Amino acid sequence: MNCDDVRMTLRDYQEGRLPTAAQGGVRAHLEACPDCAHVDAVEQELTSALEHRLPQYPASLALKRRIAAQWKVSTPKRSRWSWWRPSLIPVFACVALVLVGAPIFYYERAAFQDTNATSAMVGEAVNDHLRVLSSQRPLEIESGGLHQVKPWFEGRLDFAPIVSFEGDADFPLKGGAVGYFLDRKAAVLVYAHRLHPISLFVFRAGGLHWPAKDGSALTMEERGFNVIMWRQSSLGYALVSDVDRRELASLAAKLQSMP
Amino acid sequence: MLCWARDQGSGSPLSAVANEALAYVDALHNLARHLTGNQADAEDLVQETYARALKAEHQFTPGTNLKAWLFRILRNTFLSLYRRRSHDPTVGGLDTVDAYSQGAIDEAWLRDDFELDRLRKVVAEEIEAALMTLSEEARTVILLDLEGLTEVQVSDVLGCPVGTVKSRLSRARAALRLKLRDYAR
Repeated sequence: MNCDDVRMTLRDYQEGRLPTAAQGGVRAHLEACPDCAHVDAVEQELTSALEHRLPQYPASLALKRRIAAQWKVSTPKRSRWSWWRPSLIPVFACVALVLVGAPIFYYERAAFQDTNATSAMVGEAVNDHLRVLSSQRPLEIESGGLHQVKPWFEGRLDFAPIVSFEGDADFPLKGGAVGYFLDRKAAVLVYAHRLHPISLFVFRAGGLHWPAKDGSALTMEERGFNVIMWRQSSLGYALVSDVDRRELASLAAKLQSMP
Repeated sequence: MLCWARDQGSGSPLSAVANEALAYVDALHNLARHLTGNQADAEDLVQETYARALKAEHQFTPGTNLKAWLFRILRNTFLSLYRRRSHDPTVGGLDTVDAYSQGAIDEAWLRDDFELDRLRKVVAEEIEAALMTLSEEARTVILLDLEGLTEVQVSDVLGCPVGTVKSRLSRARAALRLKLRDYAR
Protein backbone atom coordinates (compact mmCIF):
# COMPACT_ATOMS: atom_id res chain seq x y z
CA MET A 1 0.00 0.00 0.00
CA ASN A 2 1.64 3.24 -1.14
CA CYS A 3 1.05 6.81 0.00
CA ASP A 4 -1.50 7.59 -2.75
CA ASP A 5 -3.55 4.55 -1.84
CA VAL A 6 -3.45 5.45 1.84
CA ARG A 7 -4.43 9.08 1.34
CA MET A 8 -7.29 8.08 -0.93
CA THR A 9 -8.70 5.88 1.79
CA LEU A 10 -7.95 8.07 4.80
CA ARG A 11 -11.58 9.12 5.31
CA ASP A 12 -12.70 5.49 5.23
CA TYR A 13 -9.91 4.62 7.63
CA GLN A 14 -10.86 7.42 10.02
CA GLU A 15 -14.52 6.42 9.91
CA GLY A 16 -13.68 2.73 10.34
CA ARG A 17 -15.36 1.83 7.05
CA LEU A 18 -12.49 -0.29 5.69
CA PRO A 19 -12.34 -4.08 5.95
CA THR A 20 -10.27 -5.27 8.90
CA ALA A 21 -7.26 -6.19 6.77
CA ALA A 22 -7.24 -2.86 4.90
CA GLN A 23 -7.73 -0.99 8.16
CA GLY A 24 -4.65 -2.73 9.54
CA GLY A 25 -2.69 -2.00 6.36
CA VAL A 26 -3.40 1.73 6.54
CA ARG A 27 -2.54 1.80 10.25
CA ALA A 28 0.77 0.10 9.56
CA HIS A 29 1.55 2.54 6.74
CA LEU A 30 0.74 5.57 8.91
CA GLU A 31 3.07 4.29 11.64
CA ALA A 32 5.88 3.97 9.10
CA CYS A 33 5.22 7.13 6.97
CA PRO A 34 5.53 10.53 8.70
CA ASP A 35 4.10 12.42 5.71
CA CYS A 36 0.97 10.30 5.59
CA ALA A 37 0.67 10.43 9.38
CA HIS A 38 0.77 14.22 9.16
CA VAL A 39 -1.89 14.24 6.46
CA ASP A 40 -3.96 11.92 8.62
CA ALA A 41 -3.67 14.32 11.56
CA VAL A 42 -4.61 17.31 9.39
CA GLU A 43 -7.55 15.43 7.89
CA GLN A 44 -8.77 14.55 11.36
CA GLU A 45 -8.45 18.17 12.40
CA LEU A 46 -10.32 19.29 9.27
CA THR A 47 -13.10 16.84 10.03
CA SER A 48 -13.25 18.08 13.59
CA ALA A 49 -13.40 21.70 12.41
CA LEU A 50 -16.18 20.88 9.96
CA GLU A 51 -18.15 18.85 12.46
CA HIS A 52 -17.86 21.28 15.35
CA ARG A 53 -17.40 24.72 13.85
CA LEU A 54 -19.04 24.78 10.45
CA PRO A 55 -22.32 26.64 11.01
CA GLN A 56 -25.33 24.37 10.87
CA TYR A 57 -28.61 25.59 9.43
CA PRO A 58 -31.53 23.59 10.69
CA ALA A 59 -34.86 24.26 9.03
CA SER A 60 -37.04 26.85 10.65
CA LEU A 61 -40.15 25.71 12.46
CA ALA A 62 -42.24 27.59 9.91
CA LEU A 63 -40.67 25.63 7.05
CA LYS A 64 -41.18 22.35 8.86
CA ARG A 65 -44.83 23.13 9.46
CA ARG A 66 -45.31 24.19 5.84
CA ILE A 67 -43.82 20.93 4.61
CA ALA A 68 -45.79 18.82 7.06
CA ALA A 69 -49.00 20.59 6.07
CA GLN A 70 -48.15 20.19 2.40
CA TRP A 71 -47.68 16.45 2.82
CA LYS A 72 -50.78 16.09 4.91
CA VAL A 73 -53.05 18.08 2.63
CA SER A 74 -51.75 16.44 -0.50
CA THR A 75 -53.22 13.04 -0.96
CA PRO A 76 -50.39 10.58 -0.78
CA LYS A 77 -49.79 8.38 -3.79
CA ARG A 78 -52.01 5.42 -3.19
CA SER A 79 -52.30 2.10 -4.81
CA ARG A 80 -55.09 1.38 -7.24
CA TRP A 81 -56.64 -0.77 -4.56
CA SER A 82 -56.65 2.04 -2.02
CA TRP A 83 -58.29 4.34 -4.59
CA TRP A 84 -61.03 1.80 -5.10
CA ARG A 85 -61.37 0.86 -1.50
CA PRO A 86 -63.59 3.76 -0.34
CA SER A 87 -65.96 3.34 -3.26
CA LEU A 88 -66.17 -0.39 -2.63
CA ILE A 89 -67.27 0.00 0.98
CA PRO A 90 -70.98 0.40 0.06
CA VAL A 91 -70.67 -2.55 -2.30
CA PHE A 92 -69.10 -4.67 0.41
CA ALA A 93 -71.81 -3.54 2.80
CA CYS A 94 -74.49 -4.57 0.33
CA VAL A 95 -72.83 -7.90 -0.32
CA ALA A 96 -72.52 -8.52 3.41
CA LEU A 97 -76.14 -7.54 3.87
CA VAL A 98 -77.22 -9.93 1.15
CA LEU A 99 -75.02 -12.72 2.48
CA VAL A 100 -76.32 -12.30 5.99
CA GLY A 101 -79.83 -11.22 5.13
CA ALA A 102 -80.62 -13.65 2.34
CA PRO A 103 -80.58 -16.80 4.50
CA ILE A 104 -82.58 -15.03 7.18
CA PHE A 105 -85.04 -13.71 4.63
CA TYR A 106 -85.26 -17.11 2.96
CA TYR A 107 -85.77 -18.82 6.30
CA GLU A 108 -88.40 -16.30 7.39
CA ARG A 109 -90.09 -16.52 4.02
CA ALA A 110 -90.01 -20.28 4.11
CA ALA A 111 -91.30 -20.30 7.65
CA PHE A 112 -94.03 -17.86 6.66
CA GLN A 113 -94.93 -20.02 3.66
CA ASP A 114 -94.91 -23.11 5.88
CA THR A 115 -97.23 -21.43 8.35
CA ASN A 116 -99.55 -20.26 5.61
CA ALA A 117 -99.55 -23.65 3.87
CA THR A 118 -100.19 -25.47 7.14
CA SER A 119 -103.02 -23.12 8.06
CA ALA A 120 -104.52 -23.57 4.62
CA MET A 121 -104.37 -27.36 4.83
CA VAL A 122 -105.75 -27.47 8.35
CA GLY A 123 -108.52 -25.07 7.38
CA GLU A 124 -109.30 -27.19 4.33
CA ALA A 125 -109.42 -30.34 6.47
CA VAL A 126 -111.90 -28.76 8.90
CA ASN A 127 -114.04 -27.42 6.04
CA ASP A 128 -114.07 -30.82 4.38
CA HIS A 129 -115.04 -32.41 7.67
CA LEU A 130 -117.88 -29.92 8.05
CA ARG A 131 -119.06 -30.65 4.51
CA VAL A 132 -119.17 -34.32 5.37
CA LEU A 133 -121.17 -33.58 8.51
CA SER A 134 -123.60 -31.25 6.75
CA SER A 135 -124.10 -33.46 3.74
CA GLN A 136 -127.43 -35.16 3.44
CA ARG A 137 -125.57 -38.24 2.32
CA PRO A 138 -122.29 -38.06 4.08
CA LEU A 139 -121.45 -41.64 3.30
CA GLU A 140 -121.68 -42.99 -0.16
CA ILE A 141 -120.80 -46.45 1.03
CA GLU A 142 -121.99 -47.69 4.37
CA SER A 143 -119.41 -49.72 6.08
CA GLY A 144 -119.71 -53.43 6.13
CA GLY A 145 -116.03 -53.53 6.92
CA LEU A 146 -112.88 -52.11 5.38
CA HIS A 147 -112.80 -54.84 2.78
CA GLN A 148 -116.07 -53.54 1.53
CA VAL A 149 -115.21 -49.85 1.65
CA LYS A 150 -111.77 -49.91 0.05
CA PRO A 151 -112.83 -51.69 -3.12
CA TRP A 152 -115.59 -49.18 -3.48
CA PHE A 153 -113.03 -46.44 -4.20
CA GLU A 154 -111.70 -48.28 -7.21
CA GLY A 155 -112.56 -46.35 -10.34
CA ARG A 156 -113.57 -43.33 -8.30
CA LEU A 157 -110.13 -42.11 -7.43
CA ASP A 158 -106.90 -41.76 -9.37
CA PHE A 159 -104.99 -43.42 -6.55
CA ALA A 160 -105.50 -46.29 -4.15
CA PRO A 161 -105.93 -45.09 -0.57
CA ILE A 162 -103.76 -47.07 1.81
CA VAL A 163 -105.78 -47.61 4.94
CA SER A 164 -105.49 -50.84 6.86
CA PHE A 165 -107.25 -49.96 10.12
CA GLU A 166 -110.73 -51.41 9.71
CA GLY A 167 -112.07 -49.97 12.93
CA ASP A 168 -112.54 -51.37 16.38
CA ALA A 169 -114.89 -50.95 19.32
CA ASP A 170 -113.52 -47.53 20.17
CA PHE A 171 -113.32 -46.29 16.63
CA PRO A 172 -115.78 -48.14 14.42
CA LEU A 173 -115.58 -47.50 10.67
CA LYS A 174 -118.86 -46.05 9.50
CA GLY A 175 -118.29 -45.85 5.79
CA GLY A 176 -116.66 -43.90 2.99
CA ALA A 177 -117.19 -41.31 0.33
CA VAL A 178 -115.28 -39.41 -2.32
CA GLY A 179 -114.55 -35.81 -1.54
CA TYR A 180 -112.05 -33.11 -2.39
CA PHE A 181 -109.06 -31.88 -0.50
CA LEU A 182 -107.95 -28.57 -1.91
CA ASP A 183 -107.52 -29.17 -5.64
CA ARG A 184 -107.60 -32.95 -5.67
CA LYS A 185 -109.88 -35.84 -5.03
CA ALA A 186 -109.74 -37.48 -1.65
CA ALA A 187 -110.95 -40.69 -0.11
CA VAL A 188 -113.09 -39.86 2.89
CA LEU A 189 -113.37 -42.51 5.57
CA VAL A 190 -115.59 -41.84 8.53
CA TYR A 191 -114.91 -43.36 11.88
CA ALA A 192 -116.78 -42.72 15.06
CA HIS A 193 -115.89 -42.40 18.67
CA ARG A 194 -118.95 -42.69 20.80
CA LEU A 195 -121.25 -40.13 19.15
CA HIS A 196 -118.48 -38.11 17.55
CA PRO A 197 -117.80 -38.61 13.85
CA ILE A 198 -114.19 -38.61 12.78
CA SER A 199 -113.22 -37.90 9.19
CA LEU A 200 -110.09 -39.28 7.61
CA PHE A 201 -109.10 -37.72 4.31
CA VAL A 202 -106.61 -39.58 2.17
CA PHE A 203 -105.23 -37.74 -0.87
CA ARG A 204 -102.19 -37.43 -3.08
CA ALA A 205 -99.56 -35.48 -1.21
CA GLY A 206 -97.55 -34.47 -4.29
CA GLY A 207 -97.42 -30.76 -4.99
CA LEU A 208 -98.51 -29.77 -1.53
CA HIS A 209 -96.22 -27.82 0.81
CA TRP A 210 -96.20 -30.42 3.52
CA PRO A 211 -95.40 -28.92 6.90
CA ALA A 212 -94.20 -32.04 8.65
CA LYS A 213 -91.56 -34.55 7.68
CA ASP A 214 -92.57 -37.80 6.10
CA GLY A 215 -94.05 -40.08 8.77
CA SER A 216 -94.30 -37.49 11.51
CA ALA A 217 -97.71 -36.13 12.49
CA LEU A 218 -98.74 -32.52 12.91
CA THR A 219 -101.46 -31.81 15.44
CA MET A 220 -103.36 -28.54 15.38
CA GLU A 221 -106.58 -27.06 16.57
CA GLU A 222 -108.92 -25.10 14.32
CA ARG A 223 -112.31 -23.66 15.23
CA GLY A 224 -112.79 -26.22 18.04
CA PHE A 225 -111.75 -29.18 15.90
CA ASN A 226 -108.59 -31.14 16.34
CA VAL A 227 -106.67 -31.96 13.23
CA ILE A 228 -103.87 -34.48 12.87
CA MET A 229 -102.05 -34.62 9.56
CA TRP A 230 -99.27 -36.83 8.35
CA ARG A 231 -97.73 -38.06 5.17
CA GLN A 232 -96.78 -41.56 4.19
CA SER A 233 -95.04 -42.07 0.89
CA SER A 234 -97.04 -40.26 -1.76
CA LEU A 235 -100.23 -40.01 0.23
CA GLY A 236 -101.35 -37.40 2.70
CA TYR A 237 -103.67 -38.04 5.64
CA ALA A 238 -105.82 -35.60 7.55
CA LEU A 239 -107.79 -36.77 10.58
CA VAL A 240 -110.42 -34.32 11.84
CA SER A 241 -112.86 -34.46 14.71
CA ASP A 242 -114.14 -32.67 17.72
CA VAL A 243 -113.07 -35.56 19.96
CA ASP A 244 -110.39 -35.05 22.54
CA ARG A 245 -106.93 -34.57 21.10
CA ARG A 246 -105.49 -37.58 22.94
CA GLU A 247 -108.27 -39.83 21.74
CA LEU A 248 -107.84 -38.58 18.21
CA ALA A 249 -104.13 -39.19 18.52
CA SER A 250 -104.77 -42.77 19.57
CA LEU A 251 -106.76 -43.32 16.39
CA ALA A 252 -104.01 -41.65 14.35
CA ALA A 253 -101.53 -44.01 15.93
CA LYS A 254 -103.64 -47.00 14.96
CA LEU A 255 -103.94 -45.76 11.41
CA GLN A 256 -100.20 -45.10 11.14
CA SER A 257 -99.09 -48.32 12.75
CA MET A 258 -101.13 -50.69 10.68
CA PRO A 259 -99.19 -52.25 7.78
CA MET B 1 -43.77 11.26 14.55
CA LEU B 2 -42.30 14.69 14.82
CA CYS B 3 -44.13 17.09 17.09
CA TRP B 4 -44.36 19.83 14.48
CA ALA B 5 -45.82 17.34 12.05
CA ARG B 6 -48.22 16.07 14.70
CA ASP B 7 -49.42 19.61 15.33
CA GLN B 8 -50.94 19.77 11.89
CA GLY B 9 -54.54 18.98 12.68
CA SER B 10 -56.03 18.71 9.23
CA GLY B 11 -55.33 16.62 6.19
CA SER B 12 -54.62 12.99 5.57
CA PRO B 13 -52.50 11.00 7.99
CA LEU B 14 -48.90 10.79 6.90
CA SER B 15 -47.54 7.63 5.38
CA ALA B 16 -44.57 5.86 6.93
CA VAL B 17 -42.33 7.23 4.18
CA ALA B 18 -43.59 10.77 4.78
CA ASN B 19 -43.02 10.44 8.50
CA GLU B 20 -39.44 9.33 7.98
CA ALA B 21 -38.85 11.92 5.27
CA LEU B 22 -39.90 14.74 7.56
CA ALA B 23 -37.20 13.68 10.00
CA TYR B 24 -34.55 14.75 7.46
CA VAL B 25 -35.72 18.35 7.00
CA ASP B 26 -32.87 19.76 9.07
CA ALA B 27 -30.19 17.84 7.19
CA LEU B 28 -31.68 18.77 3.84
CA HIS B 29 -32.00 22.40 4.80
CA ASN B 30 -28.40 22.49 6.00
CA LEU B 31 -27.16 21.22 2.63
CA ALA B 32 -29.54 23.55 0.81
CA ARG B 33 -28.26 26.51 2.81
CA HIS B 34 -24.66 25.68 1.96
CA LEU B 35 -25.54 25.18 -1.69
CA THR B 36 -27.61 28.31 -2.19
CA GLY B 37 -25.82 30.56 0.27
CA ASN B 38 -28.96 32.22 1.60
CA GLN B 39 -31.91 31.40 3.78
CA ALA B 40 -34.75 32.21 1.38
CA ASP B 41 -33.39 30.14 -1.49
CA ALA B 42 -32.59 27.29 0.90
CA GLU B 43 -36.19 27.20 2.15
CA ASP B 44 -37.54 27.30 -1.39
CA LEU B 45 -35.19 24.51 -2.40
CA VAL B 46 -36.19 22.29 0.53
CA GLN B 47 -39.87 22.90 -0.01
CA GLU B 48 -39.54 22.12 -3.70
CA THR B 49 -37.56 19.01 -2.80
CA TYR B 50 -40.37 17.73 -0.60
CA ALA B 51 -42.96 18.59 -3.20
CA ARG B 52 -41.07 16.55 -5.78
CA ALA B 53 -40.51 13.74 -3.29
CA LEU B 54 -44.22 13.66 -2.55
CA LYS B 55 -45.04 13.31 -6.23
CA ALA B 56 -42.42 10.60 -6.64
CA GLU B 57 -43.16 8.79 -3.37
CA HIS B 58 -44.35 5.70 -5.23
CA GLN B 59 -40.94 5.52 -6.96
CA PHE B 60 -39.12 5.15 -3.67
CA THR B 61 -38.06 1.57 -3.03
CA PRO B 62 -38.77 0.58 0.56
CA GLY B 63 -35.69 -0.75 2.28
CA THR B 64 -33.34 1.62 0.45
CA ASN B 65 -31.89 4.74 2.03
CA LEU B 66 -34.58 7.40 2.14
CA LYS B 67 -32.16 10.08 3.29
CA ALA B 68 -29.91 9.52 0.24
CA TRP B 69 -32.99 9.50 -2.00
CA LEU B 70 -34.07 12.88 -0.64
CA PHE B 71 -30.57 14.32 -1.00
CA ARG B 72 -30.52 13.23 -4.63
CA ILE B 73 -33.84 14.97 -5.27
CA LEU B 74 -32.57 18.07 -3.52
CA ARG B 75 -29.37 18.17 -5.55
CA ASN B 76 -31.16 17.55 -8.82
CA THR B 77 -33.65 20.26 -7.94
CA PHE B 78 -30.83 22.63 -7.10
CA LEU B 79 -29.03 21.88 -10.35
CA SER B 80 -32.18 22.42 -12.42
CA LEU B 81 -32.98 25.65 -10.60
CA TYR B 82 -29.37 26.78 -10.90
CA ARG B 83 -29.30 26.04 -14.62
CA ARG B 84 -32.51 28.04 -15.02
CA ARG B 85 -31.10 30.95 -13.05
CA SER B 86 -27.78 30.79 -14.84
CA HIS B 87 -29.66 31.74 -18.00
CA ASP B 88 -31.24 34.70 -16.23
CA PRO B 89 -28.87 37.67 -16.60
CA THR B 90 -30.38 39.42 -13.58
CA VAL B 91 -29.48 36.63 -11.20
CA GLY B 92 -26.00 35.66 -10.31
CA GLY B 93 -24.89 32.04 -10.33
CA LEU B 94 -25.16 30.16 -7.10
CA ASP B 95 -22.02 28.23 -7.71
CA THR B 96 -18.54 29.44 -7.13
CA VAL B 97 -15.12 28.92 -8.52
CA ASP B 98 -13.84 25.37 -8.48
CA ALA B 99 -10.92 25.86 -6.15
CA TYR B 100 -9.31 22.53 -6.65
CA SER B 101 -9.15 23.01 -10.38
CA GLN B 102 -6.94 26.03 -9.98
CA GLY B 103 -3.71 24.18 -9.69
CA ALA B 104 -1.84 21.69 -7.64
CA ILE B 105 -2.14 21.82 -3.91
CA ASP B 106 0.92 23.11 -2.21
CA GLU B 107 2.29 19.91 -0.71
CA ALA B 108 4.79 21.84 1.37
CA TRP B 109 2.01 23.75 3.06
CA LEU B 110 0.10 20.59 3.71
CA ARG B 111 3.10 19.03 5.33
CA ASP B 112 3.69 22.06 7.51
CA ASP B 113 2.60 21.81 11.13
CA PHE B 114 1.38 25.37 10.77
CA GLU B 115 -1.65 24.06 8.93
CA LEU B 116 -2.54 21.83 11.81
CA ASP B 117 -2.28 24.72 14.23
CA ARG B 118 -4.30 26.94 11.94
CA LEU B 119 -7.05 24.38 11.58
CA ARG B 120 -7.31 24.15 15.34
CA LYS B 121 -7.90 27.90 15.52
CA VAL B 122 -10.05 28.46 12.47
CA VAL B 123 -13.39 30.01 13.30
CA ALA B 124 -16.82 29.18 11.99
CA GLU B 125 -17.06 32.09 9.58
CA GLU B 126 -13.72 31.21 8.01
CA ILE B 127 -14.64 27.57 7.49
CA GLU B 128 -17.96 28.54 5.98
CA ALA B 129 -16.38 31.19 3.76
CA ALA B 130 -13.76 28.70 2.54
CA LEU B 131 -16.39 26.07 1.91
CA MET B 132 -18.54 28.48 -0.07
CA THR B 133 -15.70 29.19 -2.46
CA LEU B 134 -15.67 25.55 -3.54
CA SER B 135 -17.72 24.26 -6.42
CA GLU B 136 -21.21 22.91 -5.79
CA GLU B 137 -19.90 19.44 -6.43
CA ALA B 138 -17.09 19.80 -3.89
CA ARG B 139 -19.40 21.30 -1.26
CA THR B 140 -21.95 18.57 -1.81
CA VAL B 141 -19.53 15.70 -1.48
CA ILE B 142 -17.95 17.18 1.67
CA LEU B 143 -21.31 17.86 3.31
CA LEU B 144 -22.81 14.49 2.39
CA ASP B 145 -19.73 12.84 3.88
CA LEU B 146 -20.23 14.88 7.04
CA GLU B 147 -23.88 13.78 7.12
CA GLY B 148 -22.62 10.22 7.52
CA LEU B 149 -23.62 8.91 4.10
CA THR B 150 -21.47 6.08 2.89
CA GLU B 151 -19.57 6.39 -0.38
CA VAL B 152 -22.12 4.10 -1.99
CA GLN B 153 -24.95 6.36 -0.87
CA VAL B 154 -23.06 9.48 -1.97
CA SER B 155 -22.48 7.88 -5.35
CA ASP B 156 -26.22 7.32 -5.57
CA VAL B 157 -26.88 10.98 -4.79
CA LEU B 158 -24.32 12.28 -7.25
CA GLY B 159 -25.01 9.67 -9.88
CA CYS B 160 -21.40 8.57 -10.29
CA PRO B 161 -19.30 5.50 -9.45
CA VAL B 162 -18.01 4.93 -5.92
CA GLY B 163 -14.42 5.35 -7.09
CA THR B 164 -15.27 8.78 -8.43
CA VAL B 165 -16.83 9.72 -5.10
CA LYS B 166 -13.67 8.65 -3.33
CA SER B 167 -11.43 10.78 -5.53
CA ARG B 168 -13.82 13.75 -5.53
CA LEU B 169 -14.00 13.73 -1.76
CA SER B 170 -10.26 13.55 -1.44
CA ARG B 171 -9.75 16.43 -3.86
CA ALA B 172 -12.56 18.50 -2.34
CA ARG B 173 -11.12 18.25 1.15
CA ALA B 174 -7.66 19.07 -0.16
CA ALA B 175 -9.10 22.13 -1.89
CA LEU B 176 -10.80 23.19 1.31
CA ARG B 177 -7.57 22.92 3.21
CA LEU B 178 -5.92 25.01 0.53
CA LYS B 179 -8.60 27.67 0.89
CA LEU B 180 -8.20 27.69 4.63
CA ARG B 181 -4.55 28.43 4.08
CA ASP B 182 -5.57 31.72 2.49
CA TYR B 183 -7.46 32.67 5.62
CA ALA B 184 -4.44 31.89 7.68
CA ARG B 185 -2.24 34.36 5.87
